[in-house]
Amino acid sequence: MKQELISFPFQVIFKPFSSFWDLKYDNKGSMKASYLLIAFTIIAFILQKQYAGFLVNYTDPRAINSIMDIITVVIPFVLWVVANWSITTLMDGEGKFTEIVKVTAYSLTPIVIVYIPMTFISRYMAQEETAFYYLMLSIASLWFVWLLFVGIMTIHQYTVMKTIVTMVLTIIVMGIIVFLGALVLSMLQQIYDFIYNIYRELLFRT
Amino acid sequence: MRIKAMVSAIVMASVLFTTAWIDVVHASTPYEAYNYNYWEEAVASPAAFVPSRTVGGSDLGIEPFLEPNDMVIAPSGNIYVADTGNKRIVVIRPDWTLERIIDSVEGIGSFGTVSGLYVDEDETLYIADSGLGKLIVLTKNGSVKLIIDNPQSDIIAAGFKFTPTKVAVDDAKRMYVVASGVFEGIMQFDTDGEFLGYIGTNEVKRDYYEIIWRLLSTKEQRSQMVLFIPTEFSNLDIDHKGFVYATNIDLNSPTPIKRLNPSGEDVLKRFGYFHVKGDIRFRASVGPSIFIDIKYLGDGIYSALDSNQGRIFTYDAEGNLLFIYGMHANQNGTFKTPVAVEYDGVNQLVLDRAKANIHVFMPTMFGELVLEASRLHYNGYSEEAVPVWQQVLDLNSNYDIAYIGIGRSLVMSKRNEEAIFYFKQGMERDQYSVAYKRYRREEMKEQFGTIMTTIVIAAVMIIGLMIWRKVRSKRQGRTATYSAGRDQAL
Repeated sequence: MKQELISFPFQVIFKPFSSFWDLKYDNKGSMKASYLLIAFTIIAFILQKQYAGFLVNYTDPRAINSIMDIITVVIPFVLWVVANWSITTLMDGEGKFTEIVKVTAYSLTPIVIVYIPMTFISRYMAQEETAFYYLMLSIASLWFVWLLFVGIMTIHQYTVMKTIVTMVLTIIVMGIIVFLGALVLSMLQQIYDFIYNIYRELLFRT
Repeated sequence: MRIKAMVSAIVMASVLFTTAWIDVVHASTPYEAYNYNYWEEAVASPAAFVPSRTVGGSDLGIEPFLEPNDMVIAPSGNIYVADTGNKRIVVIRPDWTLERIIDSVEGIGSFGTVSGLYVDEDETLYIADSGLGKLIVLTKNGSVKLIIDNPQSDIIAAGFKFTPTKVAVDDAKRMYVVASGVFEGIMQFDTDGEFLGYIGTNEVKRDYYEIIWRLLSTKEQRSQMVLFIPTEFSNLDIDHKGFVYATNIDLNSPTPIKRLNPSGEDVLKRFGYFHVKGDIRFRASVGPSIFIDIKYLGDGIYSALDSNQGRIFTYDAEGNLLFIYGMHANQNGTFKTPVAVEYDGVNQLVLDRAKANIHVFMPTMFGELVLEASRLHYNGYSEEAVPVWQQVLDLNSNYDIAYIGIGRSLVMSKRNEEAIFYFKQGMERDQYSVAYKRYRREEMKEQFGTIMTTIVIAAVMIIGLMIWRKVRSKRQGRTATYSAGRDQAL
């Protein structure tokens, strides 16, 4: 069990098809590992901002805020999972909610294993070598997208085309959720203001 | 008890008097000096120049100035003021006494609208009179040397009206004239007043929005639209190499200041953090800087006058913004309508049209040090510039150019590790990379033995471990058969 916690993500990134199959039908992979991977992704981003070499680090040190880093990983993650689940439920996807969570989290593995070492290597780079740094980061991102694609395809038992369409729709739905959330929040704000104004009016009248 | 009271009284008095004394010495400015940091934020900075005096016509014992339009300092130190409203040119000695007044020219009579002046080493005076449409050249004793009123050339359209507004002259006595209504560039004349051609045309930029809008509109609508014409130059100056520094009033252009080489190309160095365009942060309602005068201070340094917010921006040869000062207001040392900026080698002078006087700004210690260090650096004395930059940093520890200057000198003297620190402070990535690469190579050379030893030891240990494991697994395989069975099953 302990060993699987470490070995399964590595199995996933190199053999995504069979591993995600195992994830779905052999009940491999765990929620615990998923949470850990998300945590490591957040840590990777925080470390990158704080410790990446001077030549590649364009972050204003005064603007570093770990809470914001957590939010920028967790919120899109939750939105993605919820949106994907909503879409695939309507589109005959076979994946369960927990499977979507697991697949998405395991897809983050390349980001963790590339970002953290690259952050420290970048400290010993000269200007010409920074191209390598950016190349590695791009590879990690593409790898992440590839794994996510394979994972979604496997757990929902979709065709390639349907997977692409679903993923695009998921992103659109994420936007819609954000929009609705903002709308609800602003409405609540309005209602609160309205009630507060009435309260104040009554207070001053009497 | 009494002693205590006395002591406290003395202490109080000394504190009181010293603070009062500090207040007297402390030169305050009516404006807030600032500069931009790497993150494009305006941060407070010590003032580089502070107002020292204001001189108007009455201070010279003559009629006050009326809407003066230009001012120039001759190499001899004499200050020439184009007192446009009074139709005269006032010549002031460096000690602020009146030298003479030029109010008429033989053969022409009185001036029309004197809008531009220039004086060369021979004290020859070049007058751009836009009212008369003439460029008048006067010798030192006041006799007319040359008058250009109707330049002839194939490339000048028939019926062209010559309206010179600003003039500058290079060492070869070629005249560079900014004329209104001329969009082809700066007019260039030779010593005899022969038209040589235009240099440095401002390019017309069309944005995509305009192109799309134009495609969608009908012919009638298109004919009603504003024509795309290049902007005119607003002012110019010549540096010691004969290159023309020119300003143009092209709003939102990243290059309102140009340095034109003899063939008219813009060769201004722009290696600073941001564009050489004055304010990089401004309110949308205020708008960007509008440069109406430029003055070359020598050694690659130049000051440009922004009429929009009444500020003077000084840049070094590489396009680093050295300092900013000045503002629009009513106090002494602030401007209403600044029109010209000059430099007498120590002080900066600004002519104000609406206030009809000359503001004299003297450099502070900070300003002097910055200018000195920039000059040393420009002339290649970067090592000598280091102590000066250090002093600058003592006065303003946010001064990035000083860090970079020190770093450059350190790199040259092969002190790479220290240079890395200074470049990092100055947020200079390219130079940092150079210094870092050298430092890394040195370290690698130094630590080569240690690194190789570590690698060899590690390799030996790994190989040993592998052999040991093999031996152990063989022995286990002989004793415990079930594990072999498990291996086969897997």
